[in-house]
Formats: sequence, C-alpha cells, structure tokens
Amino acid sequence: MDTAKKNGKSDEILLEVRGLKKHFPIHSGFLRRVSGYVKAVDGIDFYIKKGETLGLVGESGCGKSTTGRTILRLLDPTAGEIIFDDPNIGKVDLAQLSRAQLKRVRPNMQIIFQDPFSSLNPRLTVGQIVGEPLEIQKVASGQALRDRVAELLQEVGIRPENMTRYPHAFSGGQRQRIGIARALALNPKLIVCDEPVSALDVSIQAQVLNLLEDLQEKYDLTYLFVAHDLSVVEHISDRVAVMYVGYIVEMASTEDLYYHPKHPYTEALLAAIPKPDPRKRTRPIKLPGDVPSPANPPSGCYFHPRCRYAEDICKVERPPLRDIGGEHWVACHFAEQLQLQGITRLNEIPLIELPKRQSPIPAASPAS
Amino acid sequence: MTNAAATGTERTGIQIVSEDDVVRVEELRLSFYTSLGVVRALNGVSFNIPRGKVLGVVGESGCGKSQTGLAIMQLSFGRIEGGRILFREFNTSEVIDITKLEKNGPEMRRIRGNHISMIFQEPMTSLNPCYTVGHQIEEAILLHQTQDKTEARRRTVDILRKVGMPNPERIADSYPHQLSGGMRQRAMIAMALSCTPTLLIADEPTTALDVTTEAQILDLMRDLQHEIGTSIMFITHNMGVVAQMCDEVAVMYLGRIIERAAVDDMFYDPKHPYTISLLRSIPRLGVARGQKLESIKGSVPDPYSTVPGCPFHPRCPAAIPGLCDTVMPEEIFVAGSQTHTVRCHLYT
Repeated sequence: MDTAKKNGKSDEILLEVRGLKKHFPIHSGFLRRVSGYVKAVDGIDFYIKKGETLGLVGESGCGKSTTGRTILRLLDPTAGEIIFDDPNIGKVDLAQLSRAQLKRVRPNMQIIFQDPFSSLNPRLTVGQIVGEPLEIQKVASGQALRDRVAELLQEVGIRPENMTRYPHAFSGGQRQRIGIARALALNPKLIVCDEPVSALDVSIQAQVLNLLEDLQEKYDLTYLFVAHDLSVVEHISDRVAVMYVGYIVEMASTEDLYYHPKHPYTEALLAAIPKPDPRKRTRPIKLPGDVPSPANPPSGCYFHPRCRYAEDICKVERPPLRDIGGEHWVACHFAEQLQLQGITRLNEIPLIELPKRQSPIPAASPAS
Repeated sequence: MTNAAATGTERTGIQIVSEDDVVRVEELRLSFYTSLGVVRALNGVSFNIPRGKVLGVVGESGCGKSQTGLAIMQLSFGRIEGGRILFREFNTSEVIDITKLEKNGPEMRRIRGNHISMIFQEPMTSLNPCYTVGHQIEEAILLHQTQDKTEARRRTVDILRKVGMPNPERIADSYPHQLSGGMRQRAMIAMALSCTPTLLIADEPTTALDVTTEAQILDLMRDLQHEIGTSIMFITHNMGVVAQMCDEVAVMYLGRIIERAAVDDMFYDPKHPYTISLLRSIPRLGVARGQKLESIKGSVPDPYSTVPGCPFHPRCPAAIPGLCDTVMPEEIFVAGSQTHTVRCHLYT
C-alpha cells in the first residue's frame, strides 16, 4: 500500500547502535557520593536504513529522548557503539570520536527539538539562528551566507524578509519551521526529530508533518522520529521501535508492529490510543501499577510486574531482543506463542465535498 | 449539498430550553483589557449541558475553550461583558445566573467546588505541595458537606478508593510530590468529585499524561460519571479523546462555537469547513499511510485583531467572497436535525 514511500529506500544501513547505555549517576549524602545510577538507556540495539524513518515510541521517562541525544553525542554514552556511515569519512564509531573529529561528522547529523519556544535563542535574529551552523562549519559567509539562509527559510515556508526578526515575533508552528531550517542548513543525512510536533496545535501539526515528509523526499533524509503520539508515528514511520524503561522491547515495520504486535507492552500501548472514532470505543488493557523507576528496575523482564501473560521465567531472565522473522524484533520469552491484539483500521472520515457557491448571494441580512 | 431552501432549516437562535439542562450559557462575552489592546476571548458563546451528559469542547489553543470553563466557575481574570450563565443545582428548580453573582461572594463560594467543580490540566501545579492529598480533599468536604472531621476523613478515604488508588489510607497521608502524574490526576478527580457536583468541568485532564495512563483516567471518568450522574464539560484539543468520551461535541474557533452536534454526527457528518479540515488533519490509524495529511492553511489570527465576517473565512477553502468576509453567519440547525447546529453561510 505504501510503495510510494518505499521508493528510494535502500538496504544500506546509515546508523547502527549496538549495546548503547547511558547511565546518569545519583549523588546523595554529605559528600555527594554516587549512590546509584538512573539507567535511562540500558543496552539498546537498533539500526536505521538510508532514507527511512524510524519511529521511537514509549512513555515519558523510557529513555527515548536520551537515546536521540546520545546518538548525536549531545550526551556521552556510558557504553556501546554508535556506528554512523559518514558520506565523507565512511563508517565511524561516534562513541569513540574526539571533539575535533566529531565536528567533522556533525554536519551530517542534526536535531529538531520539541519545544519551539526554548530551542531558539531569543537574542539572535532568525537569520543568525539559521546561519549559525554555516558559520561554525565555515561553509559560507557574507552575501553567500545570507542567500543560503534566505533559501532555507523559503524551503520551510517562511518569508526571507523575516530574517531580521527575532523568534518572539513568530508563532509556535513558524518557530518549529525555523528550527527545521536550522537543522537543514548543512545538508545533513540524519535528522533526529525529538517530539517535533507534540507542542503544536492539530492544524499546525499536519503542516509540519507534511513539511518533514516533503523535505525527506527532496533531500533524501533519514529520520529518527522520537514521539509519544502513536497515531503520528504510524503516519510518518517506515519502521517503529517501542521502548520501555531504557530498553527496546519491540522493533518492526509499522504495518507489523501496529497490526501484529508481538510484545504485551506494545499491545497495551496500542489499546490505549484514543481512537478518533465514536463508533469504536475501546476499553484499555488494565496495566497494574506504574512504570518502574529506571533507577531501580525490577528483575528479569522489566515489564513482568505489569504483564498479564507473565510466567516464572519472566521474573528471573531478561529476554534479549531477537529477530522472530521478517525483521520483527521482540524482547519477550513468549513472542511466538502469544496471540496479541493489534489495532483495527479506522474508517476514513467521509469525504464531504464542500459546496462551492459560484455566485455570491446578495448580502443576507442577519436574522435578529 | 444542502439547499438554502431545504426544510427544517431555521434562522432562529438556538433556544433549547429544557428542564434537563444543568447549565445554559447564553451569548457569553468575555474580554481581556491588556496594555497591548483588547483581547475578545469569547464573542457570544451559547450552549447547554443536559443532566448526566458529557459535552466535549474542542478547538485549538486560544479559541476560548478554557476561558469558557473558567467563566462558569467565575475564575477567569477576563471581564464578562455580556450574556448569562444559568445554572441549576441538583433537585432544585431554582435557576441561578452565575454572571450576576459576586466573584468572592458567599453564594459563589457555596457553588464553586461544591455544585460545580473543576479538574485542571497540570496535576503538578494544581495541588498544593505543602499539604497532604488527604488534607486537601478533606478541606472541600469540611467546607461544603460536613463539620465532622472523622466523617470527612472517612469520606476522603472512600473517594480515593473509588478513583482506583491502591492504598487509599496511605495515599491520603502522602504529599503530592510523592505521587506519579497519573496518581496526582486521580487525586484531583477525587477532590473534584468529593462533593458529588452537579457539573464537572474537566480542562484538558489527560493532556499531560502518558497514553496508557490517559486511557485509564478516561475509563475511570466514564465509570464515575455513570455512577454519580454528574454532567461533564470536557475541554480538550484531542479529537481521539472526544470520540472516546463525549456524548455531544461543540467545536470552538476564535471565541465562538461554530458547530455543535452529537458525537456520532460530528465525526461522520461534519458540516463546518473548519470541523472537516480539523478531522482530516489528524493522522488516522490505518488510513492513508504515506499520503499527505490535509492541513489547514495559515494559522489562527493574532488575538488583538478582529476578523470581519466569519472568523474562519481567511483560512476557509469554501469561503464565498463578498459574503463570508463581511457577514457573521448565524447559528442555525442543519437540515433535518434537531441537535446539529452550525455557523456557516454554506448552509443558510
């Protein structure tokens, strides 16, 4: 059905993450000794192919944003490899690079942040914000720089005349566009989109999603799309990975994951989506308790205290993420046995042709 | 699709006067006077909420949906410049016009929190961090229901159990920071329902929550609503939540209700171009993957400006030049329906 989207996708892997860990120390006591670690990301493996969009979903605190930032080395990983296929240098392990080496790779990987209000410096004009990466990498200066900035702004739907204005003069949607223009400035290969639309209104959200899709097509971009809105992720992603307490529990093509989930947590997550269809009212699957703290996770499979299919083995042994066929990766001991419920397709909103009236009727007097 | 001469289309204002209405808002106008100019937040909002029903109020940020809720509670900082808010308590025939009451007067304080209560979006900031959850719920009960402290405590634990708290005695003695977001929102709901209000105003109660928690809170609200029979005004921007939760829906745009219908009609037979565009611009599971979403061009106009004619006409794909940009459409019934109203020239 989505062959149009699949075009231009290759099997070449752009980014491969192996055993990535990011632990934040917890300091306590008078001497601020390290008393434990918040295991925000705790040994995850995944890969992104060139030109595709990988959706990364999960509840707050599951480590999805930390993953996105660690990949770009905005945070230093505790352990693991981040292998990026740089078009100039070839395959490099980002986790090992020094600052100077990183600077050479950085133009190829960029990030779009969630909050369009705090991610733009209020003291810089839009032109300076979008031009900053070009200056740092010494790509352009003077008139060439201004031309490039104007071109970028045009690309994301902002009038270049607005270059001299400050971020406060723009609405949330426009600011997010400026953030996108900044990310595009150096012609990156990979863009990490960290909840790019969750702060926006519904009608603006659609505009920004369409823009991201257009740009992907035009510049052959690869996205890691971090989000918590499962409907948005389904719309934009080719493949989806589900995280739970710092660990990927399932990764598969969007089709497989949404319609044939293999992990009980994915099933519960899908059942909880509020479906915009009053004829399909659903009752959520009851998940007892809360999401465990990543500082003190349960034994065995992290999901076992809340899982309705849990058995004894789940309490002691943590299931590895394994391929059960057709690039469907699951971390569950019983992935093959369980019969889990995916989502049901929704009806399309009936297409109502808006009546177009040709001749304006003479000004009707408003009824009193 | 409908003809102007179609039968059943009336040009009268909406006059559903029913014994069953808990609250009826008529032509409510509310403005903010700021140093930058006047913001007309509500420009004549009229609706009613029948007893035991859930009315969803949807719209984008700045459309006035939260201000409508706050105005009913007399908590808005804006100035009410016209209109009435008629409210009827449980089992009484007396109708009170809330706009006539003094904000901090005894009458308003008797109603607020007792007969009308509210749940806010941010469970983090709407609970007082200095008092235990139990203390805060007891406060409402002691103020409105009983003077007896042990009785109030018993009711507090009861209501906490009802909202699905695992260990209500312990939770009652916990401070808000000791609870997770979902638990705090449950505590808020417990507080709001502690006096069995006639009307509950829920202002984006699940927006700050995760999807699994959200589903559980919605499930809980649905159960409690059936049990207590409270009417709910459910303010949200999430169409999915509306479809799951509400009996009727009102869509707001720039301080006006532009369409109102039963939830099924709203999703399967929307009339106003804004409603249609809004519904088409949200990604739907399993529909049209890999295709472009339909988006509404432009953005909501600046709040200090006023748009002549229909407020949606600059963004409307079906705007009629010469009419939509000059004349404000009246609210009319959709042909052949007694409940579906729309404010659009296409149907007059």
